[in-house]
Amino acid sequence: MPLETEARAQVRALIADLKPNDGDLLIALHRVQHRYGYISREAMEVVAEQLDLFAAEVYGATTFYSEFRLEPPAATTVRWCSGPACRLRNGTGIRDAMLATLGLQTLGEQTADGRVGLTVGQCNGTCELAPQVWVDRTEDHSSRVVGQLTAARAVRLARALRDGTDADDV
Amino acid sequence: MTSSTTGVVAGERFAALREHAEAVYAAWRHPERPRIDVAIDTSSLASGAGATRAALERVAADRNAAVDLGRNHGYGMQWLQPLVTITWPDGTSVLYGPVRPEDAPSIVDEATGRVGAAAALASGVLAGDRPGIPSVREHPFFANEPRERRLLRNIGLTDPESLEHYIGSGGYRAVGRMLERHQQPEQVRQLLIDAALTGRGGAYFPTGVKWNFLAGAPTDERYLVCNADEGDPGAWVNRVILEGDPHLLIEGMVFGGFATGARHGFIYIRDEYPLAVERVDQAIRQAEAAGLLGEDILGSGFRFTLEVIRGAGAYVCGDETGLLSSISDMRGQPRIKPPFPAVSGVFFKPTNVNNVESYSNAPFVLRNGPEWYQAEGTEEMHGTRLFTFSGDIPRAGFMEVPFGTPLPALLEACGGISGGRGLGALQSGGPLGSLLPGAVLPTLDTTLNAFRAHGGSLGSGGMIFMSDETCPVHFNEFIADFVEEESCGRCTTCHHGNQRMTEVFRRIIDGGGRREDRHNLEMIDTTIQNSNCQHGQLSPTVMRNTLRHFAPTYDAHVAGHACPTLTCEGLTRFRVVDQSDPRLPEAVDICPVDAFRGAEGDWEILDDRCIRCGACTDVAPRGVAREPVPARPALVPVG
Repeated sequence: MPLETEARAQVRALIADLKPNDGDLLIALHRVQHRYGYISREAMEVVAEQLDLFAAEVYGATTFYSEFRLEPPAATTVRWCSGPACRLRNGTGIRDAMLATLGLQTLGEQTADGRVGLTVGQCNGTCELAPQVWVDRTEDHSSRVVGQLTAARAVRLARALRDGTDADDV
Repeated sequence: MTSSTTGVVAGERFAALREHAEAVYAAWRHPERPRIDVAIDTSSLASGAGATRAALERVAADRNAAVDLGRNHGYGMQWLQPLVTITWPDGTSVLYGPVRPEDAPSIVDEATGRVGAAAALASGVLAGDRPGIPSVREHPFFANEPRERRLLRNIGLTDPESLEHYIGSGGYRAVGRMLERHQQPEQVRQLLIDAALTGRGGAYFPTGVKWNFLAGAPTDERYLVCNADEGDPGAWVNRVILEGDPHLLIEGMVFGGFATGARHGFIYIRDEYPLAVERVDQAIRQAEAAGLLGEDILGSGFRFTLEVIRGAGAYVCGDETGLLSSISDMRGQPRIKPPFPAVSGVFFKPTNVNNVESYSNAPFVLRNGPEWYQAEGTEEMHGTRLFTFSGDIPRAGFMEVPFGTPLPALLEACGGISGGRGLGALQSGGPLGSLLPGAVLPTLDTTLNAFRAHGGSLGSGGMIFMSDETCPVHFNEFIADFVEEESCGRCTTCHHGNQRMTEVFRRIIDGGGRREDRHNLEMIDTTIQNSNCQHGQLSPTVMRNTLRHFAPTYDAHVAGHACPTLTCEGLTRFRVVDQSDPRLPEAVDICPVDAFRGAEGDWEILDDRCIRCGACTDVAPRGVAREPVPARPALVPVG
């Protein structure tokens, strides 16, 4: 068994009530990510021990689900809604405009300074506001909907987030 | 304790719950002083219901107004969110929307007696009578709903976080009666079979028959699972029940547990629905505290418990066997059937999986009987189902309609296509569903057969209407990318076939369509169908629909290298067409890739820099236009 470090002890305490063969794997991974912002290799090992799984199985699950991250998130993550109603209103133009403004190649990346990330979001049925993005702040787990976007407004939003200026009024 | 005394105990315990709940609910419907309810659901919150609620609180406090504030779920007219309801002591109840923070004073005025102060925001009367305001039931959006809502009966009228409201409006009554009268599990299953209730996840398999499978399992260790991993983009019917009336689902699952012998159930909710997770979790705890869930339900000796599992973003977990893997501490990869879930499900124990709406129908069948249930719908498909509508329509939202409702009437309810355009395409059933052309609309109704006749599928509730300005080929790239991204990766046919399909569509929309692409896509289609699970098997359906129903448009892309709707990136370009547009400098400034060159009066766009995002035409629609790329020179034979 690997050496018990302070970090491992913390993760162990976080999931101490979870049991093997009880359908607890997703709960464990959600808790770890909520606390640390991502799921480290060390955390996966502790989850595996707690739930009597191989670490490889936990790694397999962690990488299978798109919500789980293996790296810390950016300070602000913009989730771009990929749904059909958004798509009909220049959704791809909005995506490409934000990628270009942030200097990113593809969804899932973040700016070099860690300030802004852009990821794919899934339709949650608020299509009356299409096209839209969700602006998630890592610090306080808050999420803001920016709806009825245009590509031009998406550029302004991305610039404000990139430059750290006030993005609330965009 | 003998069985007859447990029945008496259950009857008495439920009567006590009901008496208390009815009093609470009566006070809600006829409050002592006017009450303002703000709709709190995912849709209203996205539209700013939080700020509206805060403004109402502030205005009411500043004025020391004699009103109370409450909460409900939006009534279905999502384009009017944030929705607010005022209920007066005489029981009159009126719906208003959209109510912005600046409208708070007029809403408080209206509530406190200045009749007409918020008249401009009135959307309809929910209860009682208000001269000058029609009943919400007369709103054209609800023209196709049955006279009395079933699955939506509490939506917009109760507080979704109140167990008392659910019981007070008739909820759990059939559970109380079932336990009091010692109904047998087989009787409950037979009622569902008699009603011919079918699964609402999209397969429409008889729910009662499915319950019989689990009831016959050889071991007592068995599970009930609710599939609330509603992943089809553009469908959110399950979200409405989870957030708006969570006890309806719980009551349905209590019947499921009783009828199948399962003693524990999982409600697997997708990660994108955090409020649903919260509300269902809270409702479970309320039901436990009231003795409606737990080790000894209403003192009858019947044990049934529930827990919520929160998904983590995997569409393929909506396949029932993927869901079972996910609950069982594994990657959410679908399994090969057989064995079916009734033999090997959660942790390889016998399991029954139903959709949210399937379980939620059960209480109505148990309360009112199969004949009542069959009074709505067609000969083949009984009852109602929820639909959500989105796309190029002015009225996005949800409603409940009987099976067999004509699609033209539903499009009309949604206000037709925005901007007076025609219907180009209808997308139903999510990425594994179908894409049908507007021309077939008159032949469609909400039955399986109507859609199957065109190679389409009715699906699980999502309907997206697209205008004739939508490019079906471009839309296919979205579908292909989605099904590729969400493939679990097990079958080469699926993970690689869908990669190829995506590549082909990307190349076509980038302007590189080839004559042989149709043949290649058809080969991909027949190959992917050999995948193990429904995800793979159905992933080429939209592409197949497109090749069949949109052949001229597809051919224009591939043979003519032209996108008729000027959507596809590689077949269109942006050009400055009016140098006198005073907003051109703004367009130059907004361009995220610095593609403009020149100076005032002489702007041009460098085509190889332009990414076709459209930001410039957003700000200078007169000065910059999107136009077809110049026709390619035809290949001339050598010699």
